Amino acid sequence: VSRSSRTISLRDRMLIASMALAAIVVGVFVATILAVSAARTATKQEARSKNLTVSALRLEKLVLDVENGVRGYARTRDKRFLQPYNEAVRVMPYQRRNFRNLAEEQPLQARRAKAIDDAIVIYMESFADPVVQFSSQKAAELAYNQDGRIQAAGIHSRFGQFITAENKLSTEREHAADSKSRHAIELGVVGLTGSAILILLFAVYLARGIARPVTEAAAGAGQVAAGDLSIRLSQKGPGEVGELTKSFNEMAERLEATRGELEEQNAQLRESERLKSDLVNTVSHELRTPLSGVLGFTKLLLTRDFDPETRRHYLGIVDAQARRLSDLLDDFLDVRRIEEGRFERAKELVDMATLLEEEAQLYRQQSPKHEVAVEIEHPPLAVMGNPDRLRQVIGNLISNAIKYSPSGGVVAVTAERENGHVRVEVRDHGMGIPVGQQSKIFTKFFRGDAAASGITGTGLGLAVSRDIVESHGGRIGFTSAEGKGTTFFVELPGANGVKDRQGHDDDQS
Amino acid sequence: MERRKTILICDDEPALRELIRASMDDGFDFAEASDGIIAMQLAEQVAPDVVILDLMLPRLSGLEVLARLNDDERLKDVPVLVITAWNETREDVLAAGADEFVTKPFDPEDLRSAVNRLVAA
Repeated sequence: VSRSSRTISLRDRMLIASMALAAIVVGVFVATILAVSAARTATKQEARSKNLTVSALRLEKLVLDVENGVRGYARTRDKRFLQPYNEAVRVMPYQRRNFRNLAEEQPLQARRAKAIDDAIVIYMESFADPVVQFSSQKAAELAYNQDGRIQAAGIHSRFGQFITAENKLSTEREHAADSKSRHAIELGVVGLTGSAILILLFAVYLARGIARPVTEAAAGAGQVAAGDLSIRLSQKGPGEVGELTKSFNEMAERLEATRGELEEQNAQLRESERLKSDLVNTVSHELRTPLSGVLGFTKLLLTRDFDPETRRHYLGIVDAQARRLSDLLDDFLDVRRIEEGRFERAKELVDMATLLEEEAQLYRQQSPKHEVAVEIEHPPLAVMGNPDRLRQVIGNLISNAIKYSPSGGVVAVTAERENGHVRVEVRDHGMGIPVGQQSKIFTKFFRGDAAASGITGTGLGLAVSRDIVESHGGRIGFTSAEGKGTTFFVELPGANGVKDRQGHDDDQS
Repeated sequence: MERRKTILICDDEPALRELIRASMDDGFDFAEASDGIIAMQLAEQVAPDVVILDLMLPRLSGLEVLARLNDDERLKDVPVLVITAWNETREDVLAAGADEFVTKPFDPEDLRSAVNRLVAA
């Protein structure tokens, strides 16, 4: 039902409503005019009825005049008595015609009028005229004949009946006219009041149903334009107006969501900018130290004379420092690879046991203060992956363990098989990670308090490591207690599970 | 014969400590510290004639070492040369109690002449 009503457009509905309203108003007017005209007809009939009564009385008077004239003449033989008679005879045809015409409208009265007229004709022909025309003797006889009296009395009686009936009719018509005019007035008042109320309702509907929502939408649009995206309209109004408010709300919602996203992106960008600015400081510091070695020793070698052994020793230092610069460069390139999401993940069988031993050996040479202990259950521990990248991860974890336990001590590297995975742990007894920084340590360029503590690094190692581990289908994490030490773990899928994971890996590449 | 002067070198980077040593004229004795705590211990033991101090030190920062040297009655007159990789201004470092200032990467000749100035003063 709602769908079919929705298919009628707002414009059509307004048109239909206006037309219906117009039809109602026209109907009311027509009914009122009909009622008024009926009232007028009733009034006319009433007037006609009165004329008929007057006409009947006039005709009766003529009959009386004839009667009196004839009787007077018959008794006295005086021609003077014939004057009213003559006068009556002269106007009688006109009055009779007039009377018959007026009475024609109502059938019963018309019949009565005809009977009266006939009786008058008979009276005139059989009594009045002979009395006047015949010789005195004969006239006297006729005049005293009871027939004439009876006839005249009959005529008067008929007139009496007629006028009584007409009076009754007239009264009835008067009542009808009154009632019809009352009806007309009532109809007019009710109809026009009803139309006025309908028009008012229509206007209220227009104002509330359409004008108000549209005004609200305009105000809302103004607020949106001013930047207040939280504004919502009450969703009401017919058809297109309802859709307007609904669409408006959807638009505002979408704008707000978009702005939220933008603000979030903006915050991320700012954070990223801050980290990059930190990076510039880090880079400047991390580059300066090895660069000092390279430049300083080069200058010395160029400007002073040294014995061959010393010269060789210094060149070795220059070489090592230059390599450090080169490694640093690789780290930054790794970050670019992370950002572009293109870490090469060459898959070959790698024995983590061997790899851990080799890396541990490398770091043992670098820090005499630390004891790097490796403990592996059931070697070999085969995984599928890129050996250089995995070496980078393990090296990074051991190097961190050494750097963040500056007083020295044991760095314990353990590895075991667990639920089809190879789990590597690197445990130190160093300073630990403050709780407030634990959620950030995998963030690029984040270095915590390391810079202030003189601990070298770029803040990239863990970020790169996580990317490498995840690209191998594994995970990396840690537990740490401030002041007691940190344990990092890496879990990689065991090589016997490679076949199962192959499809999944293909999807990722 | 004149007493040999002692230079205390505080830097966590072994290569840079060696560079600093190699840059100096002959005739100095050296003490080397790889972090701030060791630096303070050595300073008290050897009573150096000059301290060369990297501001980025593990455990105890260079600025902290500088402050403690200035607080120490016996050590407060020892001239300090600060090496920094950061962008601290010369004024900030000198205001913190340093007597000379070089920025990484530094020229060995500049370092040598700066130390000689401090020793001669």
